[in-house]
Amino acid sequence: LTQVYDPTVLTTAPIDLDRSPAGVCYSKAVTRGGPLPKDALDHLDALYRVARQLTGNDADAEDLLQETYTRAVASAASFAPDTNLRAWLFRILRNAHIDAYRRARANPARGALADDDLSGIDVPAQEPLRGDAGLERIRGAVAANIEAALASLGLDGRTIILLDLEGFTESELADVLGCAIGTVKSRLSRARALLRDRLKDYRSEGGS
Amino acid sequence: MNCAEARDLLLDRRRGALGPVDRARVDEHLASCDACRRVDEEDRELSRALEERLPKRRAPAALRSAIEAQLAGALPPRGPRRPGRARAAVAMVGVAALAAAGVLVVERLEAPNVMVAEAVNDHLRVLYSEHPLEVESGGVHQVKPWFEGRVDFAPVVAFGGDDDFPLQGGAIAYFLDRKAAAYIYKRRLHWITLLVYRADGLPWPPTPTVHFGHVSATERTLRGFHALIWRDGDLGYALVSDVDARDLESLGSKIASSPPE
Repeated sequence: LTQVYDPTVLTTAPIDLDRSPAGVCYSKAVTRGGPLPKDALDHLDALYRVARQLTGNDADAEDLLQETYTRAVASAASFAPDTNLRAWLFRILRNAHIDAYRRARANPARGALADDDLSGIDVPAQEPLRGDAGLERIRGAVAANIEAALASLGLDGRTIILLDLEGFTESELADVLGCAIGTVKSRLSRARALLRDRLKDYRSEGGS
Repeated sequence: MNCAEARDLLLDRRRGALGPVDRARVDEHLASCDACRRVDEEDRELSRALEERLPKRRAPAALRSAIEAQLAGALPPRGPRRPGRARAAVAMVGVAALAAAGVLVVERLEAPNVMVAEAVNDHLRVLYSEHPLEVESGGVHQVKPWFEGRVDFAPVVAFGGDDDFPLQGGAIAYFLDRKAAAYIYKRRLHWITLLVYRADGLPWPPTPTVHFGHVSATERTLRGFHALIWRDGDLGYALVSDVDARDLESLGSKIASSPPE
């Protein structure tokens, strides 16, 4: 039985029921393929930072990274040497995360995860009134607020904000997210608008 | 230009990434739209929050070791997650396997040049010191005079930072046997250290691989950090960071090609 395994394409693997329902588990990928480019490890910290924000905890982030590199090794042969290694690795990470998330939810129909919160947001003609108070809330946000606000965004929103922060170019972002390059600016801008809005919902420390 | 169009371009405008035509159109819109000016201000605060207050984690050492070993072909891929103790055991196995695969791993990293190793160590020392910036930047014109009398040479650095690589400040560092002027730039989340030092009598790496302007630099990667090292006249330069290699080259090129005053 041979199967071409492309980790950058979402799998529709059957749900594995012998997983803890609470945790997100990452399945073993088929491990064949050649050596990865030597600089694949250079992206470990950045991948970890993003994985940590996507999963929300250390253990799942570590599993996601292991799975990402396992998939990358398995399909190293499909990586074209002159293309963008960083974008390729993050695309694998994103897809591994989506696969795991779907398995954990035992609900393959939850495809909406991939393009969730960004479509329904219209830019309001007037920012809602909160005025200086809103600005002060963002200014006063501490790490925990920022992480919680990020976590409240959907996967695409979080991903585009985090990767932009890692210094990704628009074409790399389009590559990782699988969207047209012309839509990257507006996706990023909408995701940030949503994040600002969520941050304004947090009171400064000490408040309830 | 309407508000929606303008808002999509605000971030690029602040980063200096807009062409003159778009820039003028956004500026014109902002001049007449209170709501978008407020959004721009809030979004600038959001950038600050993300860049300065979001935790900057690094991959745990055990995970790095396990993945290094996996890439070196020493470890089969790990199965699904096991609870607590088993996880620690897996990490230990990873470390043990790494030790067994030591030769392989070391070979992959290439023998680091002593200057590269020192540059990376200096970068970490600057990063982890309690006060990384001994002088905070209001631009290169504040940082440059601060070094006078503190180092025994005149560092030549004309690039005072831009939106992509804002200059944060400076500090004194030691590079092998001599003093160095450390300039600290930033790229989004990442700190970048530029060390400037006297170039004489150092074990320069043999084959420069990157060329910008009139200088040729050696590029190396060590422990996840990229380093660019070059020599210009009597001075040596080492640029170190965990940013993407292309970003580092882009900054290196700006530094090497900024005309001295």
